[in-house]
Amino acid sequence: MTGTKTNRIRKDASAVAFDWIKYGLLTLTALICVLPFLVIISGSLSDNATVMREGYGLLPKNFSWSAYETIFESPKEIINAYKMTIYYTAIGTAVGLAVIVLTAYTISRKEFKYRNVVSFLIYFTSIFGGGLVPWYLMYTNILGLRGSTFIIWFPAIMSPFLVILMRTFIAGSVPDAITESARIDGAGEGTILTRIVLPVIGPGLATVGLFLALGYWNDWYRSSMFSTSKETWELQFYLYNMLNSATAVSEMSQYANVSMDAVPTQTVKLAMAVVATGPVLLFYPFVQRYFVTGITIGAVKG
Amino acid sequence: MTATNAKLRSGVSLLERPAAARTIGIWIVTGLSLATLLLSLPFVNWFTLTNLSGLWKALSIPNEAVIYSGYSAYNLLSFVQQSGAGILGFPASMLLLVTIAAALFQAAFLFRVAFKRYGNKGYLQLYSTGTCAMILSIIASFGAIAYLIFANARLGITWMLPSPMVCLVPVLSIAAYVVLKAMQKTERVRQHEHGFLVEFKRNWLLFLFLVPCFAYFIINNYLPMSGVYFAFTQFNFRDGLFASPFVGFKNFEFLFMSDLWKLTKNTVLYNIVFIGLGNVLQIFFAILVSQVGSKWFKKTSQTMIFMPYFVSFVILRVLVYNLFEYDYGVINTYVTALGGSRIDFYNTPKYWPFLIVAFNMWKGLGYGMVVYLATIMGISDDYYDAAKVDGANIFQQIIYITVPLLTPTFIILLLYALGGIMKGQFELFYQMVGTNGVLYDATDILDTYVYRITTSQPLSMGLATAAGLYQSVFGLVIIVVTNFCIKRGNPEYALF
Repeated sequence: MTGTKTNRIRKDASAVAFDWIKYGLLTLTALICVLPFLVIISGSLSDNATVMREGYGLLPKNFSWSAYETIFESPKEIINAYKMTIYYTAIGTAVGLAVIVLTAYTISRKEFKYRNVVSFLIYFTSIFGGGLVPWYLMYTNILGLRGSTFIIWFPAIMSPFLVILMRTFIAGSVPDAITESARIDGAGEGTILTRIVLPVIGPGLATVGLFLALGYWNDWYRSSMFSTSKETWELQFYLYNMLNSATAVSEMSQYANVSMDAVPTQTVKLAMAVVATGPVLLFYPFVQRYFVTGITIGAVKG
Repeated sequence: MTATNAKLRSGVSLLERPAAARTIGIWIVTGLSLATLLLSLPFVNWFTLTNLSGLWKALSIPNEAVIYSGYSAYNLLSFVQQSGAGILGFPASMLLLVTIAAALFQAAFLFRVAFKRYGNKGYLQLYSTGTCAMILSIIASFGAIAYLIFANARLGITWMLPSPMVCLVPVLSIAAYVVLKAMQKTERVRQHEHGFLVEFKRNWLLFLFLVPCFAYFIINNYLPMSGVYFAFTQFNFRDGLFASPFVGFKNFEFLFMSDLWKLTKNTVLYNIVFIGLGNVLQIFFAILVSQVGSKWFKKTSQTMIFMPYFVSFVILRVLVYNLFEYDYGVINTYVTALGGSRIDFYNTPKYWPFLIVAFNMWKGLGYGMVVYLATIMGISDDYYDAAKVDGANIFQQIIYITVPLLTPTFIILLLYALGGIMKGQFELFYQMVGTNGVLYDATDILDTYVYRITTSQPLSMGLATAAGLYQSVFGLVIIVVTNFCIKRGNPEYALF
C-alpha cells in the first residue's frame, strides 16, 4: 500500500517522540491499573508471619498456600455466601431482563399513545428521588421485608439507564417497517415481541444482562442495609465484614481446629478477596466487548 | 309560546354549531376554573374549628401555641405543629401537595385560555390541562373532607368542620369536568385522536407489559417520595413514623447550623474534580490508544485499563488498606526499606482528597475512555490524510483535528455529569474511608452522612431525610437550570 510507504517516509522526529510517549505512558498506566491486583494476589500467597514482620510487597513473600487452606478448611459460610450471590445474580438478572425488555419494547412502539409519558416517568426517577431514608423505610417498615432475600435482588432489577439502553437496541435492530407489516398481517403485540423482536436483539440482551449481573455480583450495599442474618449475606458483604472484624478469623479457627497464632489473619483477607473477585476477572476478557457496546450506546444516546 | 320555542330552537342550533358551542363551553369552564382557583387560594379557609377551648383541653395543647379558628390546606401543617397532633401531619402534607398541584394546573389552564396557548393538537391539549386541573381539584376537596373525618376520629372530637367553600369546590369542578369531557369528545373526532379507553382496548397487551415496570417504579421510587415528609418530623419510637411530632423546618435549621455547608462543599468539589480531571484523562488516553498501530498492544492496554471498573468497591477497600496500612502496607514497607519513617495515612486527613481522586480516576478511566474512543473511531480518515499532505505532524493532527472533533461529545458528557453534581460517589467514599471519624472533615459527603445516620441513629431519621431532600431538590434545580441553558444554546443536546 502506498499509504504505509508515505507514512514511513514521513516519519519525522515528532512522530518518533510521540511513539515513545504513547507506548511508555500506556504501558505505565496499564501497569498501574493491574498492579494492585497483583499486590492482592501475591499478598494472599505470602506467608502470614513474614508479612507481619516485613509487610506486603509486590511479589509473594515466602510463598505459601496457607491462607487458601484456612479458607477452605471451613468453607461453609463462604460457600453459602457464594450460593446466595449466585442466586441473587441469577434471579435478579432474569427478572430484570424480562421486565426491561417488556418496558423497552412498549416504549419503543410508535403505536403506543403514552410512550412519551411513560418514558418521562421512568426518566424522572433518575433526576429526583425521596432520598435514602424514605426508600429504606418503604422496604423495611411499610413492606416489612427486612431480612428477606427478595429485598436483596428486587431493588436493582431495573434502572432508567438500562431501559433506555434496551430501547435503543430495539429501535436500532428492528426497523419500524417490519413491525408495521407484521401488524398489518395480523400479528399481535405478543407475537411481534417474541417472533420478530426477541430473535434479533441478542447482543442487547447480553449487554443489559451483563450490566445487571455485574451489579449484582459486586453489590454489598443492600446486604448492609437489609440483612438480618449471615444466611442471606451477599459475597461482597461477607468479604466486607471479614475485613472489618478480626473475629471472623478467630471464629473460623474454632471450626478448623487450628490454634489462633497459626491463623494467617492478614493474608486470609486477601485470599478471600481473590476468591470473591475470581469469577469476574475470569469472565471479564470474554464479555468486555458487550460492556463497550453498552457504554458507547448509553453515553451518546442515553 | 311559539316565540320562545323558536328562540330555544335557534339557541339549540347555535349550540350544535361546533365553533359556537366550543366558545361557550370554554367560557363556562374558564369561569368555573377561575372560581375554583380563587376558592383554593391560601386565604380561603377550608376548615373551621368550633369549640376552641374544648380542643385546647382535649389535645392538651401547650399554652404558647397559636391556634386559629379557620385553616386552609396551606397552613394546616401549622395547626399540626402547634397542636402537637403528629398523627395528622402526613395526610396534611399530602393534602397540601394535591392542593398546590390543583391550583397550579388551574392557573396553567387559565394561562392557556388567556394567551391562546392551545398547543398543537387543536384544542385537545387545552382540554387535557383542564381535565387534569379539575380532577386534582376534585381529589383535593374530597381529600379535605376525608381528612376532616380522619382527624375527628383520631382525635376523638367533633369540632373540626368543613367550611362552605370546600363544599363548593367539588360542585364547580365536577361541572367543569363534565363540560370539558363533552367538548373533548367532539374535538377528538375532529382531530382523529382517541382517548385512554380506546387506547386501552386497542393496546391492552402493551399496558399489561408495563405492569411490572410500574409496580417497580412505584414501590422503589414514587411511593418513597412521599416519605420526604419525615424531613419535617422529630422521630421517636413511642409515636412511630406517622405520629411523631411535626416540627416544620427545624431539621433543616439544625443542618444549616451544623454540617450542611461542609457536606455540600465536599460533595460538589469532589464531583467537580472527578468530572474535570476525569474527562481530561479519559480524552488523553483515548487519543493515545487510538494512535497505537499494533492491534495486540491496543487491545491489551485497553483491557488492562478497563479492568478496575469491573471489581467491586469492597475490593477497592482491600486494596487501599493493603497499600496504605500503617504496619504492613506496601507503601510503608517500601518507605521503611528506603530508610524513611512510616506514614500514618489513616490518621492524616490531608492525604485523602488526593487518594480518593486518584482511586476514582483509577476505577473510571477505562469506562470513560470507551466513549471517547468510539467518537475518535468515527472521525473520517480523510481529515488526517489531508493534514498529512499539508505537512502537519502528529501533535498538530491531534490538536487541530481530534480534539476539536471530540468537543461536542465532551460537552454532552459534561452537561450530563453536571446534573449529577449533588450525587456523591457513595460506594467510593464509604469503602475508602468507612467510619473513620478522623478523616470526616476532608472526606464526608452528603451520601455517607445520610447512610451513617440511617444505619446507626434511627432517632435522627428526620435529619437524614432532611439532608437527602436538600440534596435531591438542590440537584433537581441544578438539572432544570442546566437543561434550560442548554435548550437556549443548542436544543439538540437538551436532556428533556
